[in-house]
Amino acid sequence: MASLLRSISLGLRSGLAQNSGILSSARRLKHSEPAVVEETRPTVRKPNTVQRAHFIDFGRYVAECLPKYVQKVQLTAGEELEILIAPEGVLPVLQFLKDHHQAQFSNLVDIAGMDIPSREYRFEIIYNILSVRFNSRIRVKTYTDELSPIDSCNEIFKAANWYEREIWDMYGVFFANHPDLRRILTDYGFEGHPQRRDFPLSGYVELRYDDEKKRVVCEPLELAQEFRKFDLSAPWEQFPTFRNANPATEVIETKQAEQK
Amino acid sequence: MAAKEPVKRVIQQVRPILSLDRDEARRRVLNLYKAWYRTIPFIVDKFDIPKSEEQCKSKLREMFLRHKEVSDVRVIDMLVIKGQMELKECTKQWKQKGHVMNYWQETVEPKPADFLSKFMSGQN
Repeated sequence: MASLLRSISLGLRSGLAQNSGILSSARRLKHSEPAVVEETRPTVRKPNTVQRAHFIDFGRYVAECLPKYVQKVQLTAGEELEILIAPEGVLPVLQFLKDHHQAQFSNLVDIAGMDIPSREYRFEIIYNILSVRFNSRIRVKTYTDELSPIDSCNEIFKAANWYEREIWDMYGVFFANHPDLRRILTDYGFEGHPQRRDFPLSGYVELRYDDEKKRVVCEPLELAQEFRKFDLSAPWEQFPTFRNANPATEVIETKQAEQK
Repeated sequence: MAAKEPVKRVIQQVRPILSLDRDEARRRVLNLYKAWYRTIPFIVDKFDIPKSEEQCKSKLREMFLRHKEVSDVRVIDMLVIKGQMELKECTKQWKQKGHVMNYWQETVEPKPADFLSKFMSGQN
């Protein structure tokens, strides 16, 4: 219901924007977002509707400019823009976002990984980028699996060098054309990728100092544990305050999505 | 239910890691083997390990033959990449004595297989 209202109000706004002159702007002031109650509680963050509208417009614009690569544009947590792209489009999309005059996302803040083993492409690679010029941050997400390489964006963002090494070390995602892809966090001789969901919490090996050999030795570790089924669902509601909270992600309608 | 359906042969178009076909992958594996083989004298010389060149070479052979059943080109490529990284760690001496000696697993006791030894070790 809330999203419906929002889309209606958006339609109103875009319809009014076509008119010009003071009258329309005055009307817009009168009619804009009538349903939204202003947040007065001091401990609750105020929703930034201006930022939100900008992000929706920008997301649509990016999806129109790069229809081949952008698969979905969404807002998370109310006002965080995420652009979901195909894995072959990492370089063009990031280059576009960096060099476009209205975007100028010149800083790569972080590259994160995510592992969902049940998916066909189990890894998500998430690029957090920052536009210093427009003081805004967006996220670019793509996907891959254990054996599909992803293009290294080291040529676009020099910061990607160590971040991609970290992803390689933690998840085992191979980055093609990376200048210096090697381990960064794990020890030499370490086997496996610790952030994968199927990596056991205790690891596969343990290290100890061997007095006889006078060196640190590495031995396979086997901690037998009884299979337990945890019932984590509680009979009561944990967060009743957030029963009517905003949805985690809201998909922004783009032209590609309409065509499908 | 699933057995009644005809088995569809799915040819998946995937992006190669390095090699396009098996011959190329094979060449990469042989090149990696040769590179390791030629590095072994330097490893024996530089690291303070109680192993001879012959022992290292037989270990090298064993480590490569461990994956002899692998037939997927992309898996072979991934193993070659990891082997290449390990070779670099050895030649640059980022590894230390203990890391190199871990290939032999000398302190690891073989798992008990028959009943009596399992009983003696407290497993069942």
